Amino acid sequence: MNSISKRQLAALLLITDMFELFCFSGNMSLETLYGVLAGIALQLLAALVLASKGTELKKWAAVFYLAYAVFFGGTLFSALWRTSGEVYIPSESGNGVWGRLMIAGVIALVCLYSSSTGIKSVARASAIAAATGILCLGIDFVSAAFNADWSNITAPERNGFIYEIMRGTALSGSLGSMAVLSGTVKGERSRAFVWYFTAKAIMSAVLILTVLSVTGRIMDITDFPVVTAAQLSQPFDAQRIDALFLVVFAVFAVFSIALQVMTGAYLIKQIFPRFVRWRSSAVIVMIIGAAWVISGRELLPVRACAASAALIIAPLGAKKSAA
Amino acid sequence: MEKGGLLPLLDDSIKEIRRISGGSSDLLINRFVTGGIHCALLCCEGMVSTSVITELIFEPITDIPQQKDSYGLFHYINEQLLLSTDRPQVNDYDTLFRLINSGFAVLIAEGVDFGLAFGVQGYNSRGVQEPSGEGNIMGAHEGFTETIRTNMSQIRRRLKSPELVMELFTKGKKSHTDLCFCYMKDRVPKSLMEKVRRSLDDVELEAILTTGYLRPFVENGSFEIFDSTGTTERPDVLCSKLIEGRIALLVDGVPYAVVIPRLFCESFQTLDDYAYKPYYAVFMRWLKYAAFITAVLLPSFYVAIVMYHPELLNSTLFMLLVEAEKKAPLSILTEALFVLLMYEIIREAGVRLPKPVGGAVSIISGLIIGDAAVNSGLVSTPLLTMTALSVLGGLVVPELNPQVTVLRLAFVIAGGTLGLFGISLLACAVLVNICATEDYGFPYTAPLSPFKSKGMGDTAVRIGMRKMQKRDFTVEEYYE
Repeated sequence: MNSISKRQLAALLLITDMFELFCFSGNMSLETLYGVLAGIALQLLAALVLASKGTELKKWAAVFYLAYAVFFGGTLFSALWRTSGEVYIPSESGNGVWGRLMIAGVIALVCLYSSSTGIKSVARASAIAAATGILCLGIDFVSAAFNADWSNITAPERNGFIYEIMRGTALSGSLGSMAVLSGTVKGERSRAFVWYFTAKAIMSAVLILTVLSVTGRIMDITDFPVVTAAQLSQPFDAQRIDALFLVVFAVFAVFSIALQVMTGAYLIKQIFPRFVRWRSSAVIVMIIGAAWVISGRELLPVRACAASAALIIAPLGAKKSAA
Repeated sequence: MEKGGLLPLLDDSIKEIRRISGGSSDLLINRFVTGGIHCALLCCEGMVSTSVITELIFEPITDIPQQKDSYGLFHYINEQLLLSTDRPQVNDYDTLFRLINSGFAVLIAEGVDFGLAFGVQGYNSRGVQEPSGEGNIMGAHEGFTETIRTNMSQIRRRLKSPELVMELFTKGKKSHTDLCFCYMKDRVPKSLMEKVRRSLDDVELEAILTTGYLRPFVENGSFEIFDSTGTTERPDVLCSKLIEGRIALLVDGVPYAVVIPRLFCESFQTLDDYAYKPYYAVFMRWLKYAAFITAVLLPSFYVAIVMYHPELLNSTLFMLLVEAEKKAPLSILTEALFVLLMYEIIREAGVRLPKPVGGAVSIISGLIIGDAAVNSGLVSTPLLTMTALSVLGGLVVPELNPQVTVLRLAFVIAGGTLGLFGISLLACAVLVNICATEDYGFPYTAPLSPFKSKGMGDTAVRIGMRKMQKRDFTVEEYYE
């Protein structure tokens, strides 16, 4: 596999995390932020342990991460379907199951094409997409901040800290890819991990604080607080700019699913070296199947457990490095 | 073609030459006796200068004193006469015909199995003129011509360094086209040189009539929307590329040079950027980036927003568009495709027709058809405005015109089918394709991704010349 830079890895993983945050459903409070940050801190500690181990995975670990990629790919697809009502996607909204399938098919095609070009090109593209996305989000949320009520930030929490940590840990679709792809990073892996988790913490904090301040009062009637906050951001009197958010949303969706497809295809190559062709297609079919099974459910405890297991298995499942 | 040596008997040799050429009328064979030896001077009509051949070859050669044999005659010519600066020896008929057809005169004599060639090229060619496709205000107004040696001299005039190497060679089984490989030997990455040479070894074409015949051999074989090699018709631009460690390939008969490798950001750089103050150059550069985005995306955004996301428009604009579009009989997507395809047809007609007629076509189509289409209600005014702006934006970056044309249509279809979501999906695929474009290890998207902060000084902005001279940039910095 070709090598990528730590910035590119961070961008690839960050896009998945941001997309999961966009699809974040239910109430948010300051506790949510603490939960997410605590989850990130735990993941960083586990990642630093992983950094000292070898980069190649044992076969059983590869099988686990393949299942992880398929499961989280499915949750991403499922989240996309759930959010599509809020973020207006033409065919999906009007045509029910067939609309969903059509959208899944189109996304699958783009993901297949992306993964066929290799990790290097997707990593380069994701760096550009992440930078552009952050810029667009910045514009969206800076304008949202003008309509914000900063007293909303201290709105009372409703779910309990343990639940929020679980929600924070569940936002970890990229962890499997991190464990698998970190071997391709040029230079020290630990620095790449610190880079990524710092960026994730900053982005999550900015996003959640803005969302809290904008949607605080209507949080109870909001299904997707981040999407609502983007929709409420109107810098001009008579001009909406949440089109920017829709573009970023779609781009991030494609890259986060493509990441899972590439990770899965890479692992299939390790597990079944003779299976040369159709690896990416096989993974994408499995992901769409998983999304169908998940079918709109959030499965928070399952996701949190899977993320924790991914972090524990990463150092245990690594082969001893040649050095 | 015969690979063996020349026949020593003059009559046999001439017979053989006539046989190989099939009695071609433009092959001139002048028999004469000099120094007591029977000789023949061969040349191709129209390829040599009559005055030069008379003054520099015939006059001195017919004054040669008596020689004991042909070897003595050739030795005398080589040692005593300076007939031409370019005097290769001809040992076989293959070389003989290649040289004759390149404007050389070849002397053969009775009793020797080789000949002497003299460079007396004198064919008609276009003079150095202003490049038609790369306009420039403050820089030189000279462009490449169809003659490879003129182009080589234009480069040499600008780069007098001995580090500049120009290697002439021929390719094309039938055309024997002269190619020239140019590079600065102290700047060019050695691995790049080797790889490009190896790629050119694969060329087994019968004829090379334009740069497009060679570019696929020096480009990555996978599907790429954008070209990973560039072309220029300006010697000054080519010199700047050579100094940055790139390789150039000149092709005889083509007023363009191929530059290897090429980066995406280079399409937005012109020589004028370095003639103006940096603040203005930066403004112009960002204007070009914006024009490119407008050219590709404006019609598709219009179609997507009007068809699927009208809530994104403010009420005044919305009412204006509703008023305009309700009269149009076609759907917005069909209307947009119709207008874009009509423009492409008109453009193609304007390019292919003789210049005076081409101008008339533009006027007729622009004024009459456009006006009639709007007045008849076939096309709405806002859509026509968007298309015109988009087309105008594409003209700002002429190098990317083929890509802009196709992408614009593709994005319109994506926007018309799936709205902004479709545009985003296609944008992802295009972005990945651009990022996958790589030639000989040089990523097309550098210095943006992979990010090279040093390269941003001439990409995101245009730093001053004092800073630029300290940068000592070569393209090797982008190698991955």
